Amino acid sequence: MTRLVKKRMRKKIPINMKQLLLLCFLSWSIITSAQRILLLNGTAHIGDGQVIESAAIGVVNDRIDFVKNALTQTFDPTKWDTIIQLKGQHVYPALVSANNTLGLTEIDAVRATRDFNDVGVWNPHVRAQIAFNVESRVVETVRTNGVLISQATPRGGYISGTSALMNLAGWNWEDATIVANDGIHLNWPYSKESYQKEKQEIYRFFEMAKAYAERKDQQPNDLRMEAIKACFNGQKRVYIHAESLQQIVDVIEFAKKFELAFPVIVGGTEAYLIGPKLKDSKIPIMLGRIHSLPQHEDDLTYQPYRLPSLLKAQGILFCLQNEGDMQPMNTRNLPFQAGTTMAYGLTEEEALQTISLNVCKIVGIDQDYGTLSAGKKATFFVSKGPALEMKTNQVTLILIDGKFCTTSNFQQELYQKYQDKYKQ
Amino acid sequence: MKPRSIIFLLCALFSVELHAQFGPENGLKASEPSYILLQNATLVVKPGEILESTDLLIQEGKIIKIGKQLKQAGAIELDYAGKVIVPSFIELYSDVGLEPLKYQGNGWRPQMESNKEGAYYWNEAVHPELVAAAAYQYQPTKVDQLQQAGFGFALTHYTDGIVRGSGALVSLGATSIHKQIIKAKAAQYFSFEKGGSQQSYPSSQMGSIALLRQAFYDLKFYKENSQKLGHSQSLSEWSNIETAPAFFKTTDKWEILRAEKIAKEFKIPFIYVGSGNEYAISQELKDINANLVLPLNFPEAFDVKDPYLASQIALSELKHWELAPANAAVLANAQIPFSLTTQGLKNPDLFWTNLRKAIQRGLTPDQALAALTTIPAQWLGISNQIGTLEYGKLASFSVYNGNPFTHEATLLESWNQGEQKIWKTPNVAQIIGTYAIRFEDQLYNLQISGTPERPQGKVWIIKGGDSLHTKANIILTQQDIAIQFLSLGQQHQQLIQLHGKVLKNGAVFEGEGTNEQGSWIRWSAIQNKKTELPALTALKQDTLHKKVVWYPNMAFGNQSILKAETLLFKNATVWTNEKEGILVGADVLVQDGKIVKVSRQSINAPAGARIIDAKGMHLTSGIIDEHSHIAISKGVNEGGQAITAEVSIADVVNPDDIDIYRQLAGGVTAAQLLHGSANPIGGQSALIKLKWGQTPDEMLIDNAPKFIKFALGENVKQANWGDFNTVRFPQTRMGVEQVFYDGFYRARAYQDEWTAYRSGMLKVAPRVDLELEVLAEILRSERFITCHSYIQSEINMLMHVADSMGFRVNTFTHILEGYKVADKMKAHGVAGSTFSDWWAYKFEVNDAIPYNAALMQQQGVLVCINSDDAEMGRRLNQEAAKAIKYGGMTEEEAWKLVTLNPAKILHLDQRMGSIKAGKDADLVLWTANPLSIQARSAMTIIEGVVYYEEELQEKKLVSIQNERNRILALMLASNELGEPSKIPQKKVKKHFHCDTLGEEADAQENSH
Repeated sequence: MTRLVKKRMRKKIPINMKQLLLLCFLSWSIITSAQRILLLNGTAHIGDGQVIESAAIGVVNDRIDFVKNALTQTFDPTKWDTIIQLKGQHVYPALVSANNTLGLTEIDAVRATRDFNDVGVWNPHVRAQIAFNVESRVVETVRTNGVLISQATPRGGYISGTSALMNLAGWNWEDATIVANDGIHLNWPYSKESYQKEKQEIYRFFEMAKAYAERKDQQPNDLRMEAIKACFNGQKRVYIHAESLQQIVDVIEFAKKFELAFPVIVGGTEAYLIGPKLKDSKIPIMLGRIHSLPQHEDDLTYQPYRLPSLLKAQGILFCLQNEGDMQPMNTRNLPFQAGTTMAYGLTEEEALQTISLNVCKIVGIDQDYGTLSAGKKATFFVSKGPALEMKTNQVTLILIDGKFCTTSNFQQELYQKYQDKYKQ
Repeated sequence: MKPRSIIFLLCALFSVELHAQFGPENGLKASEPSYILLQNATLVVKPGEILESTDLLIQEGKIIKIGKQLKQAGAIELDYAGKVIVPSFIELYSDVGLEPLKYQGNGWRPQMESNKEGAYYWNEAVHPELVAAAAYQYQPTKVDQLQQAGFGFALTHYTDGIVRGSGALVSLGATSIHKQIIKAKAAQYFSFEKGGSQQSYPSSQMGSIALLRQAFYDLKFYKENSQKLGHSQSLSEWSNIETAPAFFKTTDKWEILRAEKIAKEFKIPFIYVGSGNEYAISQELKDINANLVLPLNFPEAFDVKDPYLASQIALSELKHWELAPANAAVLANAQIPFSLTTQGLKNPDLFWTNLRKAIQRGLTPDQALAALTTIPAQWLGISNQIGTLEYGKLASFSVYNGNPFTHEATLLESWNQGEQKIWKTPNVAQIIGTYAIRFEDQLYNLQISGTPERPQGKVWIIKGGDSLHTKANIILTQQDIAIQFLSLGQQHQQLIQLHGKVLKNGAVFEGEGTNEQGSWIRWSAIQNKKTELPALTALKQDTLHKKVVWYPNMAFGNQSILKAETLLFKNATVWTNEKEGILVGADVLVQDGKIVKVSRQSINAPAGARIIDAKGMHLTSGIIDEHSHIAISKGVNEGGQAITAEVSIADVVNPDDIDIYRQLAGGVTAAQLLHGSANPIGGQSALIKLKWGQTPDEMLIDNAPKFIKFALGENVKQANWGDFNTVRFPQTRMGVEQVFYDGFYRARAYQDEWTAYRSGMLKVAPRVDLELEVLAEILRSERFITCHSYIQSEINMLMHVADSMGFRVNTFTHILEGYKVADKMKAHGVAGSTFSDWWAYKFEVNDAIPYNAALMQQQGVLVCINSDDAEMGRRLNQEAAKAIKYGGMTEEEAWKLVTLNPAKILHLDQRMGSIKAGKDADLVLWTANPLSIQARSAMTIIEGVVYYEEELQEKKLVSIQNERNRILALMLASNELGEPSKIPQKKVKKHFHCDTLGEEADAQENSH
């Protein structure tokens, strides 16, 4: 590509969107960063509830330098390598997909491509980070809808493994990594027949792990136990997958008993029923897929859609996640899942937070990601219209840690290719 | 009743032709028949007639006289004062005396053909040749259980398979083998259950239906042209029992209506063995003049003491628990004739417990008696032999210590054809009270409480002003009493054992025993206070439980069947889908289920109209889901064969699916329920409207065009179904093509044969082949194909097959690579019904792109967007909006993807798909632009009936919760009484997908 861009950047000629799009389209996915980028006059959805209608966003290297109201500022164009006009467009912080097998599987039905569930039920030591396939074709199609960060998460067993926070534009897993081992994933039992027994097994395992963690002066000799150690000192989170009232109540007790530093409930369908208790426990919720059917025949048809507003009303910190059928490819619909909550009690900005800032808070990367704020990483995207609406989500620009990233994917290329065929 | 029941055979005396008829006897010839006279009994003669203090005279196993103070020289006279005699019950659904059938199977690998050797029917689930009478063996335990429940006769058969063969009416207690079978081929049996057969086909209920119909056609053909088919043991034996009463076993109320269609088609009146939820469709059952055999296996209560667990129970389960015991009463009120069966009872003891529950819920004693005696006898055409206590009938009856239909009476004896079996001789001595026991110089006080059957004892003495007491074990056997206790006197804790006779009706005991030292002593006891035993407990009517049926009988069901309204929408933004486009501020009038007027000018409200202020809201025609698998009973795929054109989803529409209501909430008003994609030629479609609370027939669209599902690719070649599924042809795309050609060639030949017959060139009518009938409809372009498809090669192939056979493929569904061959599709004239953005779930969808819909449309292909998914089906408005994002369609075009276009593709656009005077009033009122993420359905209307109204939802939720709590309180009361209960489990809603096999949906990973 990139000769042209570099040339222009050197000459400090403003690039209009059309040209940039074309450049990105023709190029490979990651385009070298301009050092100083100024984005002007877009509507900035800051991500903390604020909106700046006509914003000026300055990016220096990999970070946001400022986000200001463009109408009250003047800028010296010569001080910027690239100036991009975004009038009429919308700027959003990166959407973050929590609890996802994206990058760990390519084609659901082809076993050879499935890398998310290993043998055994106690697998805290298996790590998603190193299996994350940055070249997944699914990843391209997700990125182009605004999802730029994913929590790569294993599945299965009682403890599935250790997840990692990855950006979606790496050349390899190393440079895609945001947090290597952010937490372990514990699947709380649900069987009616053996619930108490299984619960005891989990308690026993954690008692052993805690004892191991408290031992001093020893060489690491147990990979499992080593992987859990950091859960007790706050370096790793414990994501506990639980849905029903009984499970959630028990998880709260469990987290307390083992003094887990950062417990998180993943799922939490029935959490809304015990809001005050949950609030006291300070355990946040990664709420299950919004686009799913109600759990119970007797539930309101729109029960899953209104869960976020029920949690919000009770002051509980929560975000959305999208575990379920065909999850990787469906990640591109994450913005629309958040959007659906807007019809059921959340404002647009609150809906945005459920897939950006709130996720970052819960997984612990909000100092760098989650809002368009000075000092945070320049990881955001621009959409022609509101990004949480199907009909207006048109991503025209993606920055990941200050680097431009293509807004095209192989599906658009196939579209183009066959449009061309029919023109012949 | 306890197994310790004494079997008291008086056969030497009473039985008549013991072993006598056919063979030589070892020993002396048995004596000549004698008379037995039962005196002073209460006779429950038949429903509506009870005779007090009446005598019954029996000779040669038959009742020969009934009257007051009968005399008969040479009769054995027995006093039956205080006893109630009830005619023996008739069990119509039983396998007593038969061993379960065995099937060979092929292990894990699919079994495509019958493994049964011999000239039998090609499918192992069809075995009309089985004759229960030939295999009947006396099974004492099972016979006793039935007799103890009051049954004297059972119609027994192999309870396995679809066509099950003949049943034998057996007399349960008879000891003579020649008296055991009353009627050998007394009935024939059918069901939709494949049973133990391991053969792949059928694997679904619609497959069972098709197989049964085909078998009936084959029977007819065989009778007319046996020389053509050669001998068939199955069909030959079937033709012998064709006129016998036909029982049809069902597992759900809707199956009765499904089977009734077969009954009408082949003019065979079925008697339906029900499943217990018939109360919910009593009107429909009345309409078809159904005869029913009702089970008494009421669901157990859930253990609801833990509110967390109780919250997992669905209202549908609670309502069924409450209503099941009232099933018989509800049907009796509707004047539907029925019998009752022990079928499905965990334990035969539950028969009376549950029958009495049914009586307490409003079944009258006479109705209960008729259901167990006269009605089954009449159905079997043997009312002249059994069913009542009347002259000339078999002396088969049960004896109770009271009227069992009105009181908690106990069975004492069963009589079968004059043979008596005594279960219980009541202890008549009145021993309940207090006694003074004396032996040697000791005096003990004894108190007996409880009942004479289960007496409980306590002894005490007064010593130095203190009362010392201990427990006593007491056993009473007729006139013998045994008492054991530990001494309370000088020598403490030594065993004292007394045994004696009960004299003077319990006033005195007298006998011998051992004292503290173990020496034998004489003892006596005198009653100083007698407690009168209460009479038998009378049954009371249950007024706590209600009989409220909702339509359907579950959450969000309606309390009555909804009616069409006159509706006037004012000031709506109307998406007409017509050349007028989107009208802002327009009025729309709906009357008698139709759209009457659409106008920019204000329309005056007719009398009685409901006026809806739709300012700021959007009115559209209802969403039509071209590809859905909701509301289907027992199997979406008949994957048992490569071609199953004979099966039809329309046969198995299930109105009780909550997903119907959920789709309504998403603005869906009509859907094509498609067969799955497990085989190249699947089954016929059902085109329905989502009329929540209505019957399957009302949901099916009248005169709907005929459709059938075809499929290509990985599913039909079973690519992702495990390594054992490599038996069925085809396993490659090459084979798929050949399956089509073969099917159509055969269909063409079949059609020619029938044409020849109809023109008189053939004298004998050819065999009806349901599969080829349907394929021939395709050849004649009378039936449209919706074909599951993914990659371009196979899409191309099927169009070639169709072209060469002279018909057109109507729709490619999924069609994810349609964008690659859109020009060819256009040329062929086939429509595309696709997903908005699904891909990556299997290898063949690797090149699926979300621009597919737009690109096909750009090439002039008629395109719609479908769900194939119960969840996405309720967000099809959002899915349509994606066509704007991916490919830049206009809003109006995008909206047509889920309304007008599917209507056109389904050939329903004369009635549906747009807002135009004269079309069906299938409408959705949206809170916002329907393509917006913010849009919700405020109202969903089908033919003028408002099936979903957002405003009412919170109210409905409250009424659901009230109903739940009302029934949970009753259930808790049942728990506290110690009635059996089970742990609540969440009712898991399973969903069918294209590749779901078998009758049960899975809740697992989905692929399409």
